[in-house]
Amino acid sequence: MSSIKTISSAEPPQVLGKDKTTPDETQHRGAGMMPVVVVHGGAVQVPEERAEITISGVCSAARSGYLVLEEGGSSLDAVVEAVVQMENSPYFSAGCGSVLNVKGEVEMDAIVMDGKTLGSGSVSAVRDIANPVQLARLVMEKTSHAFLTAEGASKFARSVGVPEVSQESLITEYSRMFWKKNLVPDANPVECQMEKMGTVGAVAVDKDGNVACATSTGGMPNKMEGRVGDTPCVGSGGYADNQSGAVSATGHGEANMRVTLSRLILFHMEQGQSAEAASDLGLAYLKSRLGALGGVVTVDPQGNWTSRFSTQQMPWAAAQNDTLHYGLNSGEHFRRSFSEQH
Amino acid sequence: MSAVLVVHGGAWAIPDELAEASVDGVKTAARKGFVVLRNGGSALDAVEAAVKSLEDNTVFNAGHGATLNIDGEVELDAIIMDGRTLNCGAVSSVKNIANPVSLARAVMEKTSHIMLTGKGANLFAESVGFSTVPTDTLVSEFERKEWERHKTYVTGVLEDFNTQWAHDTVGAVAVDSSGNVACATSTGGIRNKMVGRVGDSPVIGCGAYADNFSGAVSCTGHGESILKVTLAKLILSHVEQGESVADASQLALQYMGERVQGAGGAITVSPSGKWAATFTTQRMAWAAAENDVLWSGLDPNERKKENLN
Repeated sequence: MSSIKTISSAEPPQVLGKDKTTPDETQHRGAGMMPVVVVHGGAVQVPEERAEITISGVCSAARSGYLVLEEGGSSLDAVVEAVVQMENSPYFSAGCGSVLNVKGEVEMDAIVMDGKTLGSGSVSAVRDIANPVQLARLVMEKTSHAFLTAEGASKFARSVGVPEVSQESLITEYSRMFWKKNLVPDANPVECQMEKMGTVGAVAVDKDGNVACATSTGGMPNKMEGRVGDTPCVGSGGYADNQSGAVSATGHGEANMRVTLSRLILFHMEQGQSAEAASDLGLAYLKSRLGALGGVVTVDPQGNWTSRFSTQQMPWAAAQNDTLHYGLNSGEHFRRSFSEQH
Repeated sequence: MSAVLVVHGGAWAIPDELAEASVDGVKTAARKGFVVLRNGGSALDAVEAAVKSLEDNTVFNAGHGATLNIDGEVELDAIIMDGRTLNCGAVSSVKNIANPVSLARAVMEKTSHIMLTGKGANLFAESVGFSTVPTDTLVSEFERKEWERHKTYVTGVLEDFNTQWAHDTVGAVAVDSSGNVACATSTGGIRNKMVGRVGDSPVIGCGAYADNFSGAVSCTGHGESILKVTLAKLILSHVEQGESVADASQLALQYMGERVQGAGGAITVSPSGKWAATFTTQRMAWAAAENDVLWSGLDPNERKKENLN
């Protein structure tokens, strides 16, 4: 990563490794409507040796998503691009690098949602494609359905020319090692989930005020075959509505489902809460009602955005105007200016 | 605190020739579920019993009598939810199980997961002793004929839904004498659906939701529309804002019609025993059991009353 530069003399310098957060700016506001892409790489405990590459991954995804917006693409295009990047990276549990089910196989879930039409596309338990988020979008755009699962999803993929890829191409040494470790009796996959790598997601608002979300995952480590979590379930893993905003969620899938976390946060926004307050309310409810932790990225149609998590870590990044924002540990918020990049 | 059970047999333009059987079917299911409540059983037990009864009845599109997907196979979805704990069980695209609602309950109670799909769901079913039944046992002659007819005549899903030949989903909601609410929904999906198509039914917050703090809902209608507005959760959000169960259901269904041009129905019960059966389709077969009374209806604003015993 290139060295961090200060943005302007009015801002305190942000230095990697030091805990510096600009006061009162956990929610980020633009003057007027400002397009933005916010991404997350899972509410997980990233091992020390992977911190830099994980942060680099979310930053790169946010930048790519934002580039799409700058080139006139829609928020839907932007979130798909951001998530595709993270699916292609072996350092996140989505696409390549996905955690394995109990049989040592990859089964992936994904969702996209278009805030303008409330249309969504979801896939669950897909095994043989590189980019589940793209297939999810194809479900939304090329079928009269909103959700395809398992063999049916694969069949559809073949029918629209999405190439079949081998399980081997999706399985990394890391995910296999992690799977073996969790096979040991007494291993607690829910706890172990709070390690290493997680679900990925993105939200965005474009210059036309359209919001969108996308989420993609390999699911829970050593899950039962056919287990589907919150990710592809509308209202749980994600939700987007031009009238209120968009959310992508991560954490313990079953817990997020039980409170329909994404929809819950947007209900709060419909009732007048800010993106940040609504996200905090949702996460607080998750904790008080179910004792569970999680994370979200949230945006409203004006471009106000937030990344909030009740776990200790969640790699995240946001691109808005000339600035890249990012963080990993609770309370972190670093900034870098795009125009100062080489 | 008096217990209440409400069931529905699908919201669509039920043709006259199926009307009597549909209403009889929901009344039978309501009676069966209410017996459970009267004997001190839980809301969860009651909704499972009611939906099992509907699944076993070939006049409804769930379990027996389910529609066929485009490949001529049966793929079933179901969900059950416990309002006390927010625990939930769901199956999607499971094949050849006579009572998917019971399988959904097994997912909830015997695994640490909520939703199982496809082959994984079937493997789990086997592992906990659910027998697989041959497709022909589940598919009625009527459905087989309809599938063949549709094979040579392609219609869009929305058109199909709006014709009288689209069957639908079944569901139940209940509140027991302890004030616990529960819901369950079960379906074979849309006729000639794509292989692996999952609708609203097994998606928590869409096809159903239950929470002791607000109530329980089971939905029916155009699945893709219900997903767009997370209908069950939407209804309960209105209840949380102070609306009656009837108004909440009305508001949500109206919104679904206006925002995404989708029609459907919902049955809703509150923890205090208030209930509503609401629909924006031409008809919805429903029945409600409360105290010693059995209510039922089919056409809009219809409400028939009879003695439960």
